[in-house]
Amino acid sequence: MRRLKSRFLLAALLAATLALGSTPLQNPEVRRIGKKLGCQCGCQSSLTECNMLQCHFADPARAELLRMVDSGESEEGILKTFVDRYGKAILREPPTEGFFLIGWIMPFAATAAGALFLWWFVRRKLRPEAAAAPATELSSEEYARYRDRIEKDLAKLD
Amino acid sequence: MENLGALAVLLAFCLSIYAVFGSAVGALKKKPFLILSAERAVYSIWILLTLASSLLVYALLTGDMRLAYVAGRTNHAMPTIYKFTAWWGGQEGSLLFWSWILSSYSAVVTWTNRRKFRQIMPWVIAVLMSTQCFFLILNAFVESPFQVLAVGKGVVAVQDGRGLSPLLQYWAMAIHPPMLYLGYVGFVVPFAFAMASLITRQPGDAWIHTTRRWTIITWLFQSCGIILGAGWAYAVLGWGGYWGWDPVENASLLPWITATAFLHSVMMQEKKGMMKVWNMALISATFLLCIFGTFLTRSGIVSSVHAFGVSAIGKYFVAFIAIGLGACVYLILSRLDYLKSEAHLESIVSRESSFLFNNLILLASCFAVLWGTLFPVITEAIMGEKVSVGAPFFNRVNIPIGLFLLFLTGVGPLIAWRRSSLESLKRAFLWPTVAAVLLVAVLIVAGIRHFYALMSFGLCLFVAATIVSEFFKGSRAIAARNNMNLVRAMVELTHRNTRRYGGYIVHMGIVLMFVGFTGAAFNKDDTVEVGMGETFRLGKYEMKVREIQDGDTPNYMWQRAIVDVRKGGEQVGTLRPERRIYKASQEPNSIVGIRRRLNEDLYLNFASMSQSSSDKAVIQAFVFPLVSWIWIGFGVLFAGSIICLIPPKVRLQYARTEVVGVVQKHAKVEK
Repeated sequence: MRRLKSRFLLAALLAATLALGSTPLQNPEVRRIGKKLGCQCGCQSSLTECNMLQCHFADPARAELLRMVDSGESEEGILKTFVDRYGKAILREPPTEGFFLIGWIMPFAATAAGALFLWWFVRRKLRPEAAAAPATELSSEEYARYRDRIEKDLAKLD
Repeated sequence: MENLGALAVLLAFCLSIYAVFGSAVGALKKKPFLILSAERAVYSIWILLTLASSLLVYALLTGDMRLAYVAGRTNHAMPTIYKFTAWWGGQEGSLLFWSWILSSYSAVVTWTNRRKFRQIMPWVIAVLMSTQCFFLILNAFVESPFQVLAVGKGVVAVQDGRGLSPLLQYWAMAIHPPMLYLGYVGFVVPFAFAMASLITRQPGDAWIHTTRRWTIITWLFQSCGIILGAGWAYAVLGWGGYWGWDPVENASLLPWITATAFLHSVMMQEKKGMMKVWNMALISATFLLCIFGTFLTRSGIVSSVHAFGVSAIGKYFVAFIAIGLGACVYLILSRLDYLKSEAHLESIVSRESSFLFNNLILLASCFAVLWGTLFPVITEAIMGEKVSVGAPFFNRVNIPIGLFLLFLTGVGPLIAWRRSSLESLKRAFLWPTVAAVLLVAVLIVAGIRHFYALMSFGLCLFVAATIVSEFFKGSRAIAARNNMNLVRAMVELTHRNTRRYGGYIVHMGIVLMFVGFTGAAFNKDDTVEVGMGETFRLGKYEMKVREIQDGDTPNYMWQRAIVDVRKGGEQVGTLRPERRIYKASQEPNSIVGIRRRLNEDLYLNFASMSQSSSDKAVIQAFVFPLVSWIWIGFGVLFAGSIICLIPPKVRLQYARTEVVGVVQKHAKVEK
């Protein structure tokens, strides 16, 4: 019994199942467009990259993709067909329209806001006298000498 | 036996509540014996959780199939090592593992500080034990690993279990989760010290000095965990990626980023007494993101909001995170007076402001990753329509951020504290900039047009040049003064200030890793159907399938393609990509064949047999340029972190007294 089960599994492994035609992934276009579509089997990878044996989603979807590529459909057309069939979630990045645009803008907007805040913070924290003119009671020569000395000492730090 | 395990967890839960209140009340009412008893509760919790974990591991190893957890994660034919790693291979076990690590850390912290920090330690214990208590609630009442398979009122045992997922039956996966957990959980400790110092209104930054080594070690564990995960994905998942930006991966990256920001910004507090509020915020964020990461991984919220609704565990996490966040915000806001900055910024072009920028950019990337991870949940909640945020989005957003960070890695450490003159900037950056520009020019001439790749290579050389020149300048001075050779002087230099030069080595590791990441811009791949004796080409390689073998082990069946690889007409090796099907779970797995070289990896995945003609194999072939530098770079990063941990030969002291606005006195005291 156990042996029979083994044989059955091996047959599954060899995957000499229904003749579905040649492997769609051989086509570079299929691989390229497949990377833009997510596999829905729960593997979190793209159609091109799903590596499950006889994946119930990726296998037929790739065959379909190959058929569309072979019949000369444009990339937009293909992606649209998939979106119509499975919803926007099949695309691996959010669409750049309407509400979904927020998804794209937000990281950059947040960075910009952070940078603005930093600018404000630095301005506030910047010591006023640091920007002011050198102390008047020192002659410029003396001042230069002190400054050189300080710069040298500071350079030795760390 | 399972009753004993469950009882131990339950007792530990009761003790954790006792420890929280015992130490808090003891501290408030100044009752040393109460505090002492709370400390002993910490040790007892460790003993109880060690007992519970041992019982679970014993059940896993002996294949006690009455337990639901054992039957769900192991089968008899699995190698012993994977039976052991099944401890953290599933939900219930991994949560117990979390608890056990936390209890171990707590016991270590309590023991090593039993005579120190008497004022803050009770609060450290209270914070640690509150977290422990939360996880013990999950262990005891929500996701108990000691549940038995029951029919009616009787306990049943199944014949054999379903086995650990084949993807997890791989060496890197055996140690990846413990490393990540050691990192995740480890950040609870500096967080606890930070909060304790806030609660007791400590004026100084003792908490930072105390936990510095701890923070670096846990950061290193986290880094190891992340890179092992990447190495595992590369070698097991079969599509050649090491990072897929999947929510679980992102969950591990988020606290790592804030921890990295924290490691940098604490230097500002140590040396200049600045950014105290910010450091509190960062360590709190790191702690909360560690919990959040566990939540993301464990509750399944990202696959769907509905899965979250179903999962029992999610609500507990949300509640705990909300309470934690509230407590952190309250503590920081109510104690702002104790967190006042002791110094001012003096110039925009200074080390101080470069640290601010570094933090901004790290936080920006953290936000981008968090936002991308949660965006599907947000759209589903608001629009009722789910979208996916996959690798293309994260790459687009994070590559520019990452490159800017790389730039700061080169610039930051060379800008002087307080302010930098134009002259000193020129001295430090002239040659690195020239070298970088030259390299980019050469690469353009060589035909590389990929914008980000050019930027990245240029910046890598820029940063590497600044680091090398720092080492060179320093060691040349020492060599001249002490009459030693340059290599010896370099060791001496590093030993004198291990933090600084260890840090440079860590940066060098990051540069090498960026070189490896950049290689991805030049990946090549092909998928072919080949029969025995047939050849196919990819790049410079010519490959011939010599033979297809198959076989059987008790755990799985396998099928292997023997592929001879030729390059330039010469045989350079044989690769043996393999496919396995695991008997217990009936799940397949691939063991790819990789020819690793410094310039590029040849990577073969035996995808399946052809469906059109049964004697042909479907082989996916990839060429991944420079990918080995990621692993090498990590080795360098590891070495650098270890160097940071070595006590320096010369102790640096920074007196933070201000002298009439002209100079800040930094006293260098040699011991």
